[in-house]
Amino acid sequence: MTGDPWWLDAAPSRPRKVEGGIQINSTRGEVARTWWSKRFLTALESIGVGGRMARGRGYARAGQIVSLDVAAGGAVAQVQGSRPRPYAVRVGVPAFGKAEWGLLADALVADASLAAALLAGQMPREIETVFDAVGLSLFPATLRDLALDCSCPDQAVPCKHLAAVCYVLAERFDADPFAVLELRGRDRETLLDDLRSRRAAAGPGGPADGVVPLADALHTFFTAGPGSAEAVTGPVTPSDALLDQVPAFPIAVRGHPVTELLRPAYRALAAES
Amino acid sequence: MLAVHGLWSPGRGVLLWAEDGDRAATTGSRSLRSARPHPFAASAAALAALHPGKTATLTLLLPSRAGGPVASPELVRSSSVGSARSAPALRPWTVPALAVDPAELLDPADEARYGASVAHLRAVTELAEELATRGRVLPTLVREGGAVLARWRPVVRGLDAVALDALVAALPPVARAEQAGPRDALGGDPRVLVEDALAAFADAAVRDRLGRAPEPVTIAPAGPATATEAWLAALLTPDARVDAPARELETLAAALAGWDEFGTVPTGEGRASFRLAEVRTLHDPSDPGDDPDDQTGDGTRWIVEFFLQSSVDPSLLVPAGQVWSGRAERLVAEPQELLLGELGRAALVLPGLAPALRSARPEVLELDHDGAARFLTTEAPLLVEAGFGVQLPAGWDGSRRVGLSLSARSTPTDRVLTRGGLGREQLADFRWSVAVGDEELSEEELTELVAAKAELVRVRGRWVTVDAERLRAGLEFLEKGRKRPTPSVAEVLALAQRHPEDDAAWAQDGVPLPVTAIHAEGWIGDLLDGRAERSITPVEPPPGFLATLRPYQGRGLSWLAFLSALGLGACLADDMGLGKTVQLLALEAHERAGQPQGPTLLLCPMSLVGTWQREAARFAPGLRVLAHHGSTRLHGAALTAAVNGADIVVTTYATASRDVDELAAVGWRRLVLDEAQAVKNSRAANARAVRRFDAEHRVALTGTPVENRLSELWSVMDVLNPGLLGTADAFRARYAIPVERHGDAEAAERLRRVTRPYLLRRVKTDPSIIDDLPEKIEINQHYRLTPEQASLYRTVVDDMMEKIEDSQGIQRRGNVLSAMAKLKQVCNHPAQLLHDGSPVGRRSGKVIRLEEILGEILDEGDRVLCFTQFTEFGHMLVPHLAARFDTDIAFLHGGTPKKRRDEMVQRFQDGEGPPVMLLSLKAGGTGLTLTAANHVVHLDRWWNPAVENQATDRAFRIGQRRNVQVRKFMCPGTVEERIDEMITKKKALSGMVVGDGEGWLTELSTDTLREMFTLDSGAVEEE
Repeated sequence: MTGDPWWLDAAPSRPRKVEGGIQINSTRGEVARTWWSKRFLTALESIGVGGRMARGRGYARAGQIVSLDVAAGGAVAQVQGSRPRPYAVRVGVPAFGKAEWGLLADALVADASLAAALLAGQMPREIETVFDAVGLSLFPATLRDLALDCSCPDQAVPCKHLAAVCYVLAERFDADPFAVLELRGRDRETLLDDLRSRRAAAGPGGPADGVVPLADALHTFFTAGPGSAEAVTGPVTPSDALLDQVPAFPIAVRGHPVTELLRPAYRALAAES
Repeated sequence: MLAVHGLWSPGRGVLLWAEDGDRAATTGSRSLRSARPHPFAASAAALAALHPGKTATLTLLLPSRAGGPVASPELVRSSSVGSARSAPALRPWTVPALAVDPAELLDPADEARYGASVAHLRAVTELAEELATRGRVLPTLVREGGAVLARWRPVVRGLDAVALDALVAALPPVARAEQAGPRDALGGDPRVLVEDALAAFADAAVRDRLGRAPEPVTIAPAGPATATEAWLAALLTPDARVDAPARELETLAAALAGWDEFGTVPTGEGRASFRLAEVRTLHDPSDPGDDPDDQTGDGTRWIVEFFLQSSVDPSLLVPAGQVWSGRAERLVAEPQELLLGELGRAALVLPGLAPALRSARPEVLELDHDGAARFLTTEAPLLVEAGFGVQLPAGWDGSRRVGLSLSARSTPTDRVLTRGGLGREQLADFRWSVAVGDEELSEEELTELVAAKAELVRVRGRWVTVDAERLRAGLEFLEKGRKRPTPSVAEVLALAQRHPEDDAAWAQDGVPLPVTAIHAEGWIGDLLDGRAERSITPVEPPPGFLATLRPYQGRGLSWLAFLSALGLGACLADDMGLGKTVQLLALEAHERAGQPQGPTLLLCPMSLVGTWQREAARFAPGLRVLAHHGSTRLHGAALTAAVNGADIVVTTYATASRDVDELAAVGWRRLVLDEAQAVKNSRAANARAVRRFDAEHRVALTGTPVENRLSELWSVMDVLNPGLLGTADAFRARYAIPVERHGDAEAAERLRRVTRPYLLRRVKTDPSIIDDLPEKIEINQHYRLTPEQASLYRTVVDDMMEKIEDSQGIQRRGNVLSAMAKLKQVCNHPAQLLHDGSPVGRRSGKVIRLEEILGEILDEGDRVLCFTQFTEFGHMLVPHLAARFDTDIAFLHGGTPKKRRDEMVQRFQDGEGPPVMLLSLKAGGTGLTLTAANHVVHLDRWWNPAVENQATDRAFRIGQRRNVQVRKFMCPGTVEERIDEMITKKKALSGMVVGDGEGWLTELSTDTLREMFTLDSGAVEEE
């Protein structure tokens, strides 16, 4: 009998090659370099079977991921296995709601070192305390915090396809700690905008933008505002310096560049008359 | 009296209105909905009496009470008004107004008071005027009503944006109180108003300035015009209208998009900057309790403030607090995130920073005393290295290290000069102390500092960090020092020459710390300051000396005699023509008058042996001079006998190195190196031979102590005072590379300081040295190439560039120099390049021009020297010029025998013989005196100012009574002009270093060479 034993049915058969697939840069050993991407993988690795995790890493290195979308609440990917049609993979991480993010933003704005570290490319360790304080966890703590789905026939969770997607995610987190927060429901722009307005509100004098209604200025109606009277002086540049800084002017006049026609006028501006 | 207010009304311009203190404060009208007439507004006529303008009406929202508007604080009433009880509310009022020219703002009437709104408008016009003057404007195209107008738009960036923001913030509410519509109760947007006003003012200011320019300005050529030309022309016309077909205007507007956007979006980047500052603790001085915040003992503490610094304009530092309030949004893109990210990055460099960021709006890092010391010494440099800006307290100087300071006072000079030796007793007084920078510490202060163990201490009001270890070493040195013998003068001088970082040498000197300051008084101080020449006791030449020394020559003699008495080698580096020879002869005569001395060995180039013999015979006939050169020179016992019978033995460098064994056996009184450039290469045979001669004293004479490289100075100095400037390698690392490659002014200054005791240099152009030397007038003599020359020139360039491109290393260098030589030959004459003996004729623009110039000179009866570096060119010119001017032409070149040469010079000087003397640069460039000429022509360029000046100095030297005209031939648009430009630029370095060479040309890139060689069309004479 030439047939393989039944338990080899689900054994690795060679996956199909993907042209231009998403792959990770790490070529050997561990994938997650930073503490935060390690933390992200902890939950997964605690339940995963070593062999599948290793094969997942192999998939991620080989570029078997055809597409990956990261959005609030999770990542959706297509992973090419041995079958012609790629498997649909979803790594779900519950996104926090508006109220929860409001509390988090309050905490984040109260300690600028957190945003400073994030903007410098680091996930501050204290961030877990911040999340704890409002009763949340940034990283999935147990399997219950993760919704893992894959369309492959392997019954095990996580399968190698799920593992591959998680490794790609981990490497994204290495490069940009904001990506972890995005998974939890706040992208970088929205979060920073929110922090900026809260920071301005925390300062003296309220928001700088917006026109003060005249009715609120009745007691200082005829006096000048607090603009600094101190004269600021900068480096002195030649009066025609601007002509060398502007973009090229697309029209020439009888073969002369417009900047050169203007130059005598600019020089004359500085002349003492 | 009127109280005048103003505002900017978009579309209407500057409007003035006023309150009149003589009018009733309240109105009878009770309408609350529509605007009522302002009860005490000045009439249009009253306004027009103050300023010229056009009457208008204005509806204003003003704080009001029941009966009428609240008066401004500027208004002075003729009758008092009862105090108000009710709170004011905003109500509309109509007032008569006057639309005025912005210039009226600068010309207030004496009989009125002006409110803050007028002052504010004036500030806006001032900013506009400043932007216009600095050219911070760009032309644009705007539509107003049906018309298309050319406008100058202000470009507000960087500091100007800060100024504009300040103006926006300062706008008084009354200035935005014009009611835009019946329902408007908000008032105008300050930014919109100020920017609109600024734009209008800037346009007016530019037009005004251009209209008043000293030279009339035109932008577009006159005549039928395209839309672009019409637009450019309208930038100067009063109505600014651009008349052109609509479609063309659209194209123009599209083309302008790039300019219109310019400066409107913040493009700059920025970085974090940290400022260490000392601030008051605000502890109540009457409180006797301890001040817990006091870090310094002076009621102050240390903080590091955070700033965002614009990289476009580094002078722009925005405090972090303002960044968090949104005040930096217009300076850089995303300033808050930028600063936060920068702080995050800095926290990685500076772990102590992280806790200071634990707040919503971090602005400072608080430091304790040790923290401040750490910041100053280690952390600040780390931050700078990581790319952050750091500002340290004023007066802080990281280079102020702990060192030793030596004070010494010397005995009077006459005692030195009579003793002739150099002993310890000549230092009358000396004292060691420890110093920080140049602040000497008393022993008590030092003991205190050692005990305090603090790294950051305030010494005489300035903060310095000190290394406790070094302080302790200094203290120990002082304590032991009482038993130490007085250092000798030589030791003090040696300490002064040491480089502070040469730790090995300090250890060898038995000094635990570098000597950072020497305070010396008396002649030793003068010597170290390079002032000895002016302060030492003057020495008179002996009666038998026949020349009369000029005052500066007398000082030179005294200086030489002084250094000689101290046994210190001296480099007399006076400019050519100032009489170094006579000063040296005077020194010899002075020393030998009365007391016998061993012989002096004098080395010079071959061409100068005769000069020395002649000058010695003329000025110091008492000196016995032996010329030791040529095939008939003496050897062995005969030489010994002759040397012993001589005062001065004159020989050439070549002979000296050939006879080095015999000459080195003699114990010389003095070794003199004339034209000491000869030993500039320390590894060459000349320099090696010279080092073998044993002499009690050494003197170098040279007009150019540095011709090409600083290492030449080392070489000469090391012969004079061996070891003085350290090893050649150390000299390269400490002085030559920093100065030559990096233009390091500090290293140059240090080099000047360590060499100045031994180097005396006076320049001819210094009026305090020479008051009777006539002037030297340098003229760049331009000419044009003939078509034949031009075509040859292009051929040479094409051919040689190909060769240069294909070669490398030594071969490439050879090709570059050869290209240079060939191009110079073409510029001289085609026949010189072709070597075909073809006739001179009128084939060379240079020769044609030379004939014209010589004609003029000869007509005046003047005499002229013409230098060329090509003997072949000289040989071509002699018969041609002789025929052209019907006169003999003298030609002195390397092949001219010495006897014939001397004759030629003699006749020329005596005013006999040919009035034109051609000289080859090599043979005639040094040593000769040809002051009968008052014209010098450099036919081709050696591109080395030092060499050319040496040649010029044949005529421009002592004995010259007339102004000397120096002409350097140069064809614009050729390599001649371009190299001249480069040399002019390099003279900046030369001022520091003196001299230059031609070898650097070979290091230029192929592209630069191509650019340099290329022939401009303007170089060729038109047919």
